[in-house]
Amino acid sequence: MTKCMHRRYLILLPLIISLLACGSRSHLTYYHDPDMDFAAIRTVAVLPFENLTTDRLAGERVRDILSNSLMATGAVYVLPSGEVARGIARAGVVNPSTPSKEEMAKLAPIIKADGLITGVVTEYGEVRSGTATANVISFNLQMIEAQTQKVVWTGSTSQGGISVWDRLFGSGGKPMNDVVMAAIDDILGKLFK
Amino acid sequence: MIYSANFSSKAFVIFVAIMFYLSGCGQKNGLPMNSAHDSLQAENKILIAVFPFHNASGVPSPLNDMRQLFLDSFKEYGVNILEDNVLETFMIDNRIRYVGGVDLATARDLKWKTGAEAVLITTLELYSEEPPPKIAFVSRLVSTGNDPTILWMDGIGLAGDDSIGLLELSLIKDPRKLLQNVVRDLTASLTAYLSGREDRGKSMEGSIRLWPSLYHRSPIFDSTIKYRVAVAPFLQLSERRNAGNIMALHFVRLLRAIGSFSVIEPGLVRDTFLQYRIIMDDGLSLAQADILFSKLDADLILAGKIFDYQDYVGLFGRAKVDFSALLIERKSREVVWSCESHHVGDEGVFFFDWGKIHTAHKMASGMVVSALETLVE
Repeated sequence: MTKCMHRRYLILLPLIISLLACGSRSHLTYYHDPDMDFAAIRTVAVLPFENLTTDRLAGERVRDILSNSLMATGAVYVLPSGEVARGIARAGVVNPSTPSKEEMAKLAPIIKADGLITGVVTEYGEVRSGTATANVISFNLQMIEAQTQKVVWTGSTSQGGISVWDRLFGSGGKPMNDVVMAAIDDILGKLFK
Repeated sequence: MIYSANFSSKAFVIFVAIMFYLSGCGQKNGLPMNSAHDSLQAENKILIAVFPFHNASGVPSPLNDMRQLFLDSFKEYGVNILEDNVLETFMIDNRIRYVGGVDLATARDLKWKTGAEAVLITTLELYSEEPPPKIAFVSRLVSTGNDPTILWMDGIGLAGDDSIGLLELSLIKDPRKLLQNVVRDLTASLTAYLSGREDRGKSMEGSIRLWPSLYHRSPIFDSTIKYRVAVAPFLQLSERRNAGNIMALHFVRLLRAIGSFSVIEPGLVRDTFLQYRIIMDDGLSLAQADILFSKLDADLILAGKIFDYQDYVGLFGRAKVDFSALLIERKSREVVWSCESHHVGDEGVFFFDWGKIHTAHKMASGMVVSALETLVE
């Protein structure tokens, strides 16, 4: 009898562990410069994001939602993307998603920004595992103080993925935009902490 | 037994009543004509030039046939239409190719050379003959002369399966029938405006509400002021052709409908873009906004990005609209309002497509109305 029970546990335990391991993700890591007064940053420019995914609009979508989310917080003013593009062209920034210190020093006064935000989208879209599918996003951001060109805040987040629920009932996960919004809420929550 | 007979007859009566009710529900397509069938009074008969239709659907469509159907319908209701040969001569003489809007020079010439007091500009947004058919139009009446202003504007998007009724009795499979419904509704709306009864283009009644996921309004924006707004074409990131222009038209129509804004004719905005060679790489810059402010005498500029404007063909699929918009104010040169909105047509649908929205036109209308309500609330 006891032997039989042990056998059952031996079968069930790996199953539970594997199901939990496949659970939906929500990871966030961040860094805050302890010496930085974030209240001094009133106007920010969100630069075009590096897009490492297969979705050609992933970077632009995340950037757009982030800009609007930042505006909606009321804490900072975000420059319109057209004005940022004009600044990038005038400053001659070669790669806007990863500008050099010199380029940032030239760009910030043109567009009158106190801070610059850059980002990289590493994962965006549907993930599939067996018959289960769900949406997932991973990206990281960094804020650079325009005056010193110092990184004052960085954060990376990952949201979505296949949960136990999706695996068992095949719900298809949350819509992509909801996943993006959740990820941005998550990361902004840490920025304004 | 008697009891059972009574019960079954009652059940039958209830079933028949439900059937009648449901099939009645299927007849919702189109606005009632009311007294629009009455011919217009002589004093309401302004001479209207009906421009050839602008095709923004991205697919070849029988535009001339559609226009003729509209013309016949207008004439039936006594709308005073400029003769086609006069309009054709005018268009050849003035080398007019773009018919999606009217610039100042054209508006002026149209008045002095043909005597037309207004021009009807109609944009075909969607045309799909595949059953169930889908058609969407946006139409506006613009005054001619030295100050072209939008007098009336309305839009209609219908799908054959908008309301199928019981046993699909109200399903429209014939695109001509659906087109007739669109023509009937737009004619009713235009004649109601011309007769001075009502401006249905300004009516928000029955509009669906699809709220933006994010919005921000600056305290600089004063909702008590009647601002003069120029709507720039949206930055096209969608795969759907002309989605940027279509989205701008939705904003023009609904900003005007809200009544708190004076909206500049999109043809004038387009002309300024062309004259000053404004190319939006990644949206509108402040320097470009300054040009528009001064040349169009605008207080606000609405611009945005369209990520998705998706219709589907046939029975299966879902409409999808995803956009972001912002308003730049002239004095502060700041963004005073911005919003982010994305929806799909089958949101909240659980049973048999009940509540499904079949056209991106209807979705975009609902999304823009809701977004603008966050602006003027």
